[in-house]
Amino acid sequence: MVMLRNTRTRWGALSQFLHWLMAALIGVQIGLGLAGANLPLGMSKLATLARHKSLGLTILALALIRLTWRALNPTPALPGALKAYERRLALATHVALYTLLIALPVTGWIMSSARGFPVSWFNLVQLPNLVRPDPALYHAMVLTHIVLASTLGLILILHVAAAIRHHFVLHDEVLRRMLPGPRRIHPGVMDDRH
Amino acid sequence: MTATDTLRRITLWLTLSACTAAYAGTPGPTYTLVAARSSLTYTFEQAGAANVGRFNTFTVRFDPTAGTLMVVIDMRSLDTGDGQRNDLLGGHDFFDVARYPQARFTATRLQKTATGYLATGPLTLRGVTRTVEVPFTWRTTQRGGRAIGTLDGATVIRRLDFGVGQGQWRATEWLGNAVTVRFALDMTSAAG
Repeated sequence: MVMLRNTRTRWGALSQFLHWLMAALIGVQIGLGLAGANLPLGMSKLATLARHKSLGLTILALALIRLTWRALNPTPALPGALKAYERRLALATHVALYTLLIALPVTGWIMSSARGFPVSWFNLVQLPNLVRPDPALYHAMVLTHIVLASTLGLILILHVAAAIRHHFVLHDEVLRRMLPGPRRIHPGVMDDRH
Repeated sequence: MTATDTLRRITLWLTLSACTAAYAGTPGPTYTLVAARSSLTYTFEQAGAANVGRFNTFTVRFDPTAGTLMVVIDMRSLDTGDGQRNDLLGGHDFFDVARYPQARFTATRLQKTATGYLATGPLTLRGVTRTVEVPFTWRTTQRGGRAIGTLDGATVIRRLDFGVGQGQWRATEWLGNAVTVRFALDMTSAAG
């Protein structure tokens, strides 16, 4: 049976869906951002950046939905075998991920506003400008956006590497409980529904 | 003579005086622009969002009595609020301001409407001349012995009619064809 909500041992269907949807969107988003930054000024640059902005807003909304859902649900516990520093690292990585998934779209949105290019969501809704045109702020935001995006890249590598380590080295449930499929209770953790 | 009669006489006298003054005022004054209090902006849609810019230098002459309206825009005064965008829109593919430094509109017909006027005439932009219709409102007040007028309105033109957008910029999926031109002009009578 598909569980929508999280339990103490497993991510529910909604959390899983949001996780993998965002993983895919973030992959596309990084590609669009790199392409948009490197294209010469032309119609394809406008189109690429327009899609990058629309997708960024989508990711922002999804990140907020995820945080809300996370607050309303139990969070699966980390495997009991983890050392204290590993727990701290896991927490820091996840805090950083959520922070970046909010900060990146917001800095991008400020960038566009400061440059005098209003943002729309897929040509459907025009968003308000967050700031007035301001070249100095624009340049500061470009730098911030690049630094944050690079940080996100590094943290994603760490995140994926940790998932691989949990699955193939530690042989625990950390990756499996983010995947659909039959429940397999880790021997060290009790399911709170029992 | 009663007070009412006196009042009637005064009213009649005032009315006649006003009519005479109005008649003497014909032909009316030609109005010219108070540039510091006037704006000429354009808006087009870029990827679903409004992209706004302005022209800072232009002249307008308007004579409501004679029915003449002439607008000359210095295309080099294009101000998009962004250096790169100024270069792009002022460059060959868009306004090509080096070759076409002026845009010009002359009303050949000025019709009175319920709220103001409808001016019809040729607009020359980027070397292409097409007839456009420009509705506007017109209000006048007296200030310091001068007639002050405000001329406000907007019209929509299609940029591709004038070749604004060459080559790849002809596509309208990400850069709309419709451009709204808005003007809010403060004008003063030349006669003073």
